[in-house]
Amino acid sequence: MSLLGRIAEKTSRLSCLRLMSVYPTHYVEPIVQKYKQLEQKNDLSKLYHVPIKAAVNKSSDTIFHDDTKHKMINYITKKGNSALARTLLSKTLELIKRTQTEHMNLAKGEKTTINTNPETLLKQAVENCRPLLQVTAIKRGGVTYQVPVPITTKRSYFLAMKWLLEAAREKERKVSLPEKLAWEILDAAHGQGRVIKRKDDLHRLCESNRAYAHYRWS
Amino acid sequence: MRVPGALFAARGRAPQSEKDVPFQEILPLRLKNTVSGKADSGSDVACLQEMGVLFACLKDNEFVEKYCHKEISQFQNCYKCYMDRKFEAKKTVNQGIVQPGSNLNYKQLNKYMRRYPNPV
Repeated sequence: MSLLGRIAEKTSRLSCLRLMSVYPTHYVEPIVQKYKQLEQKNDLSKLYHVPIKAAVNKSSDTIFHDDTKHKMINYITKKGNSALARTLLSKTLELIKRTQTEHMNLAKGEKTTINTNPETLLKQAVENCRPLLQVTAIKRGGVTYQVPVPITTKRSYFLAMKWLLEAAREKERKVSLPEKLAWEILDAAHGQGRVIKRKDDLHRLCESNRAYAHYRWS
Repeated sequence: MRVPGALFAARGRAPQSEKDVPFQEILPLRLKNTVSGKADSGSDVACLQEMGVLFACLKDNEFVEKYCHKEISQFQNCYKCYMDRKFEAKKTVNQGIVQPGSNLNYKQLNKYMRRYPNPV
């Protein structure tokens, strides 16, 4: 093992390549969905002689596959029980559908303005909960400051989904998770609720600490 | 005038013998083969002005993001451009492309001095 590590280090030092990567840099990503292949029919001839990476295990061509939903299932999962997480999210989306349908039936006019699609409501909730900045603890001269730092897109999506789940899990223990999560998603999709307040509190904290913004290093 | 001063006036003080006080090398008397990169770290703080403008807009509008679309997009574009530029610079440094006459990065200097150290 030490010999292999030394050989890898020597080779990587000489050739400046990442040896641990599965694919070289000239491989292109696969186009999994068939409708995307049909959309880019004219450009497919350029890919005849270009090596293509293998498709990821979780990628799918079905219309029920969605990246946000898939990532939400991953965050709900505890102890590797993905089947339970998928069931919980299905119940959540079903509850959202039933609630919005009931609101649509109870509304006198303006029936068409109520959105009953739970997937778009989930995406809307996650978009509404994404923060713009976060605070980082930076120590200068023995004092630890909370410095506002711009956030990356992936990190903001992660924080949004984590906050939704945390807000759902810390409510009443006797109420099941799909009900709590459905209410949190509906509140966040309409721009209210505890997760929106948490994001606003983070923004206010960043604004109050704006004087320390130059302490960060990037 | 005291007598000992008068007796020694012709000779003055004798020079210090080097064997009595041997030379000690407290710090090494040769240059290192590395260059520290600490001076570069604190100089480039990105997107401070856009962040200030964003905070002013958010404060004016009670932290509702609906009214601050322009500032938000400016701030996010600034940070994205900064990260892209940083990534490209890091890739250039790792590829080892060096132009003569330009200021070398500390990593490039360390790489050169690892290959051609100071003669001992």
